[in-house]
Amino acid sequence: MTPLVLPTYSLTLLTEALILGLFAMSLDLMVGYTRLISFGHAAAYGFGAYACGWLLLHTSLPMLFAIPIAALLAGVIAIGVAWVCTQASGVSFSMLTLAFAQLLYAVAYKWTSVTGGSDGLAGIPRRPGPFAFHLFVSRIGFYYLVLLVLLAALLFCLALVRSPFGAVLRGIRENEPKTLALGYNTRGYKVAIVALSYALGGLAGALYAPFAGFANTELLFWLLSGQALIMVIIGGAGTLIGPILGAAFFLTVEHQLSNYTEAWALFFGLIFIGFVMFAPEGIWGLMRARFRRRGGPAELEYRRGVARAR
Amino acid sequence: MALLELDDLTRRFGGLVAVDHVAMRVEEGEVRAVIGPNGAGKSTLFNLITGVLKPMHGDVRFAGQSLIGLSVPRICQRGISRTFQLTALYPQMSARENVRLAAQAREARHWQFVGGGVTFAAAGRRADLALERLGLTAIGDRPAGLLSHGDQRLLEVAMALAQEPRLLLLDEPTQGLSVEETAQAVDTLAVLLADNSISVLLVEHDMDVVFRLAHRITVLHRGAVIADGTPQAVRQDAEVQRAYLGGFV
Repeated sequence: MTPLVLPTYSLTLLTEALILGLFAMSLDLMVGYTRLISFGHAAAYGFGAYACGWLLLHTSLPMLFAIPIAALLAGVIAIGVAWVCTQASGVSFSMLTLAFAQLLYAVAYKWTSVTGGSDGLAGIPRRPGPFAFHLFVSRIGFYYLVLLVLLAALLFCLALVRSPFGAVLRGIRENEPKTLALGYNTRGYKVAIVALSYALGGLAGALYAPFAGFANTELLFWLLSGQALIMVIIGGAGTLIGPILGAAFFLTVEHQLSNYTEAWALFFGLIFIGFVMFAPEGIWGLMRARFRRRGGPAELEYRRGVARAR
Repeated sequence: MALLELDDLTRRFGGLVAVDHVAMRVEEGEVRAVIGPNGAGKSTLFNLITGVLKPMHGDVRFAGQSLIGLSVPRICQRGISRTFQLTALYPQMSARENVRLAAQAREARHWQFVGGGVTFAAAGRRADLALERLGLTAIGDRPAGLLSHGDQRLLEVAMALAQEPRLLLLDEPTQGLSVEETAQAVDTLAVLLADNSISVLLVEHDMDVVFRLAHRITVLHRGAVIADGTPQAVRQDAEVQRAYLGGFV
């Protein structure tokens, strides 16, 4: 946890991996725990980044305030989005999330006076404060800020999925009509988890803006939504830690492969197919299976079968 | 006052009258069976009571209050728990987790975000009790999806019981069971219902099951009530024999 000796390039890569890890983990709350497949999670990321960037450029708020405010805004807006999207389920839900993300993308592209249009927002500062508190401004300081936020978010999410609320989410994932018949207002639960998921995704985006110093429309593009889904699946959906590893894996492979070939995405696609076919429980699932084998062979087989069927 | 009163209940699907001006009552502590051939409207009746379908006409009153317009979860929260004709479980969760999630819905803080040890403990106690009453304690830790079909049917009853409902709706609890499994399940249910502490509305195909468990029977035919009375009376009713029993009983 002490990257003091790392060269600048690696530290930057590591920080980005942690930010993307937070983003993928937030998506896992929906995909892995509630089986709400979002094709538009970039909306949360991009919105958080633009909101935080705008606050840092146009107000005098310190970075430590701008980041949580941007995340909160993303969550509040997501309540409305979730209310509409949860009218539908299955593929229709996914398409609606995609539609909202594309809508936001178009807005960011056209509303030049606020978003900077195709140029985006540039020169976003890491403003110190409050009280001249500047520990997180430097490259290494910002790394620790991201690490702290990620750990806090992970602990919060772990507690959440193990809470009574989380138990109901699992119920929705496995059999929503039954959960409804048991007396749970499943729509309310879904809206709540989508809002929370978007807020955490917005938090990741809000960290990215001062990290990179810019926010552009790429952060709202559907490609990023797809990549986030890949990170979740490769890392292991429904594990929280898995998607963080998946994000790190994705970024590492991207950087390594792109040294050798322009067509790195092609090879990454093959890796992805390999995971889906041979290790549907993902990186974290493989690691866990190595450490401890729970239940008899029949149960293990059953769990694998279920993971595959997903 | 009856616990459940159906008054002039009607539901059509296009030209088909699935439930036709049905009036019926379930008294406190009574086991009432609804029988009838396929397509008689039994399942539609359940769906009308539990809020899955809206009636076009008539009223459903539970403990004196109308349920019309209430959502499915709200009706359940009023104290009506049901099982499904096709087993509805959480296959990946353990049997105990299935029942605990059902019991949790009755806890005041069932939505609790973080922590929740107290909620889990209280729901877990009621889950254990329900599992014990149905003789499922030994298989509590196994994934529900791996249980035998017979145990799955009983597990669903355990989930409904763990909610401590004022009215229990059982939709063909022995559906798809072998002769031996049916006998076992009926024995278990008979013990459960012996002390008349639970009010039950039972839909069932199997006549032996109905005559063994029910205090009173309502016969549906093409959506309408054609007979209503004790098992003895219904057995002897000529019209019922024509419509349903085929003269065999």
